[in-house]
Amino acid sequence: MGTINSALNLISSALDADQAALNVVSNNVANADTTGYTREIPNFQEAPPTEINGVAYGMGATVTGATSVRDRVLEQRLSQQQQLSSASSTRLTALDTLQALFTPDSGSSTSTAGDIGSDLTSFFNSVSSLESNPTNNALRQDVLSTASTLAGDISNAAASLSTQQSALDQEATGIASQVNALTSAIAQLNQQIQSRSPTADAGILEDQRQQDISQLSRLIGINQVTTENNGLSITTTSGQLLVSQSTSYQLTTGKSGGVNHFYIGGTDVTTELTTGGGELGGYLTVRDQDIPNATASLDQLAYSVSTQVNALNNAGTDLNGEEGTGTNSSGVTGTGTTPLYIFNQPTQVSGSALAMSVVMTDPNEIAAAALGSGTGDNSNVLSVATFATQATVNGLTPSNYYSQFVSQLGSTISRVQTESTSQSASVTQLQSQIDSLSGVNLNDEASSMQRYERAYQAASEVFTILNQVMASALNLGVQTAVA
Amino acid sequence: MRVNPFYVSNLAASLDQTQSTEAQLSNELSSGVSITSLSSNPVAAGENVLLLNQIQRDDSFTQSSSLVQGQLQVADSALGSVVSQLTQAISLATSASNGTLNSSQLQAVSTQLAGIRDEITSLANTSYQGQFIFGGSQTTTAPFATDTSTSPASTTYNGDENVNYLQTPNGQSVQLNVPGDQIFTTSGSNSVFQTLNSLINDYSSGSSVQSAVVDLQSLNTAMNYVSQQRVAIDNSLTRLTAASDAVTVEQTQLTTAQTNLMQADLAGLSTKLSLAESQQTALEAVISQLGSGSLFEKL
Repeated sequence: MGTINSALNLISSALDADQAALNVVSNNVANADTTGYTREIPNFQEAPPTEINGVAYGMGATVTGATSVRDRVLEQRLSQQQQLSSASSTRLTALDTLQALFTPDSGSSTSTAGDIGSDLTSFFNSVSSLESNPTNNALRQDVLSTASTLAGDISNAAASLSTQQSALDQEATGIASQVNALTSAIAQLNQQIQSRSPTADAGILEDQRQQDISQLSRLIGINQVTTENNGLSITTTSGQLLVSQSTSYQLTTGKSGGVNHFYIGGTDVTTELTTGGGELGGYLTVRDQDIPNATASLDQLAYSVSTQVNALNNAGTDLNGEEGTGTNSSGVTGTGTTPLYIFNQPTQVSGSALAMSVVMTDPNEIAAAALGSGTGDNSNVLSVATFATQATVNGLTPSNYYSQFVSQLGSTISRVQTESTSQSASVTQLQSQIDSLSGVNLNDEASSMQRYERAYQAASEVFTILNQVMASALNLGVQTAVA
Repeated sequence: MRVNPFYVSNLAASLDQTQSTEAQLSNELSSGVSITSLSSNPVAAGENVLLLNQIQRDDSFTQSSSLVQGQLQVADSALGSVVSQLTQAISLATSASNGTLNSSQLQAVSTQLAGIRDEITSLANTSYQGQFIFGGSQTTTAPFATDTSTSPASTTYNGDENVNYLQTPNGQSVQLNVPGDQIFTTSGSNSVFQTLNSLINDYSSGSSVQSAVVDLQSLNTAMNYVSQQRVAIDNSLTRLTAASDAVTVEQTQLTTAQTNLMQADLAGLSTKLSLAESQQTALEAVISQLGSGSLFEKL
């Protein structure tokens, strides 16, 4: 049979439980805007019943701490999606800077400066103009000046690309130290979590670890593996260990081939990190793929135009009557001793764009006339002009080649833009799902608080009544002895 | 079902998005260009390079063509003068050959013919902007020189056979010059200078000689031949004008195409901008309505 005393005990533990629950609610409200905080709910637990003479009596309830409401699957998916999203948005930002070098020419005469497509056309136009009067000094001067503009713009674009590349290299290197700080923080948290709550959710520690993983996911591509005792191993997407239990492995950098490479314990993981994702993946993709691709296209253009225009000019006769040293299409070799080169003659494709410049200073050295002809001949300059309409750069005319280059670059950027938009939408969606599960909803907290408050009031009321019952029992019918 | 308690911050992100759309639209409106970066329309950006290339080529050809037309017109008018000089020479030689002139008159004819020959020589040595136009590629030295120390005098050609061409944007080659020897010193009876020199020689002694009749006939042939060569230059002029006209038409069409490709659609842009503005206003209203208050206020 239950006693009044046991009922009093039961109800006072209920008051404790309600206070503990109110404490959890207060903590939720206090952390409503804390980044990474996971909503907690109080764990009410029924106390084991007491059996007296074969009858079981309930022993009330206690609150055994609070449980964080989290979904590990969702959190892991968010972290994966964040890797992709931050990779593509970082890549997009870098590509936006890159494409500013190749802004489409609107066609109005004021905007032609700096546009390589227009420069190419202007150069070949000035050459065709020379057909009309091959001895005219002004027209010859014009060929050299348009050549200088072309060479200058190509070389500037190549130089800007290389500057951007080294800027990205710097930023990528900066990420390594952030990664190291986060991995060692995660390793420490692992240790704390394993020692404090090896079996249950570690609450705030878990929140912190999740927050660090989320930041790490923005930086590099990672995989996470849950281990025993609530531990966590983190590897790169290719499987190199970054954190194992309470040990973290440092990401180090070192120069190789002019750019910084990334190492974990002596293994070069640059390629894996490039495709892995995160900001680092984005930076490395632009540094190691997009910029080198653009530079290679410019190099090819610069190389083809420089060498072939040089070869044609060198197989002709200039205004001074001097022949070049080259051999023309009929197999006749010029009698000259010094080559008549307009552009700096490149020796290999790579680096041609950066090195492109005009080496000819005397416009009279433009070999408008064919070998063996008088200086009034224009057949050699005609063949240079025809070069503009022939498939001379990778099977395309120079203008078509440039047009294809800008289209391809534009398509790449446009694709990354689409990727970035959809990935960030997906991140928002996942974040929204997580927030709806784990975020602190003030309305919910208000209603929970009201509920626990009411429960507390009810328990106090029960306590008062029990107290009166107890007084009645003590007084044994005498009303005024004990109040 | 629980809902995301932070929906207001998502609404704020939408507000940012709307503002960036507005910025992009205002940028297009103010610049008048719809494609401000490669990624906004990669295909059009590539197409634009090609269109501008062709427009500029057309423009450049129109300029070259007008430069060249000057030279061709100078050549044409020089040959016109040569023909009228030759007509005069023929009438002089005809009057000399009818047997009514005395010795001193015949010598005077010879002198006059020599004057005509010198005149034609100087026409054949016509230059345009300092370059001799009938010397093939040898444009820096006078193509014709007459040596009077021999009888008959001899006129030699110092130029070459080189012909220059101007290429039109659609790939036609237009002939820009006729080498002087083709016009003036071609072999046989067509040679203007040889015929004139021998006629001068025929009458220089003051007596009528038999060969003068043959030479007179040759002079007729030579004059016809010069006229024929002049036709080649006239043809080039006509072809250039035609090509230039065609190119101008093409350029206009291409410019229209390029403008359509790149120009911002102002009406469309304004509509989009006003839609974006409405959306922004609506979002702001929603945020201010929903952003305030929770159940705590009712407790």
